[in-house]
Amino acid sequence: MGLILVSHSGTLVDGLRDMVAQVAGPDVPIETAGGTEDGRLGTSAPRISEAIRSVLDRVGSAVVLLDLGSAALSLELALEDLSAADRERVHISEAPLVEGAVLAAVQASVGASIEEVVAAAESAATMAKMPRA
Amino acid sequence: MSEIRLVVIDASGLHARPAAKFVQTASRFDSRIVLRQDGREADAKSLIALLGLTIRPSSEITLAADGPDADAALAALQAELAPYVSQAG
Repeated sequence: MGLILVSHSGTLVDGLRDMVAQVAGPDVPIETAGGTEDGRLGTSAPRISEAIRSVLDRVGSAVVLLDLGSAALSLELALEDLSAADRERVHISEAPLVEGAVLAAVQASVGASIEEVVAAAESAATMAKMPRA
Repeated sequence: MSEIRLVVIDASGLHARPAAKFVQTASRFDSRIVLRQDGREADAKSLIALLGLTIRPSSEITLAADGPDADAALAALQAELAPYVSQAG
């Protein structure tokens, strides 16, 4: 399974992809769709559907992580552009983008099921960062 | 159950990259493997659980494995952690 990282910023998801690849290793395909087609901050449905197709060409299923606001709207448009069979293979994660991507990729790298990968990503929302007293 | 006690010596504690490699190594074994710190326990095959322990420098940790390949798992994981830990005295 692979990941698609969707953000208003291309710089953000390019950096995140580097970080995820360093933490999880090279075996999990990751595509990004950050920024508009003319390089501004924003999201682009065509870029998102292209990124999803690129992952689905290589692996059986894909998890999409996104940042906020209109990213969700662009993602919905992108999904409409996919075939019904491809849509079935895509899971949309509610996880926070950075933490969710790292956790999802690590679980995917050990051969976990898509349900386990999705659960790992979503647990990022409540993950402790500072030591608890 | 076999176990080993270790002290984290890396200045960053058990940070994301070594923790991820640790999870990948642990996942190759059938045994149940846990990492304990201060009475809390995390499944060694779950990155979220490990990072949730917020393991810091000088923390004493216990690595425990139970199952058919427990000893091999502990040896592999101790090797994986070698740059970051010393034996607990």
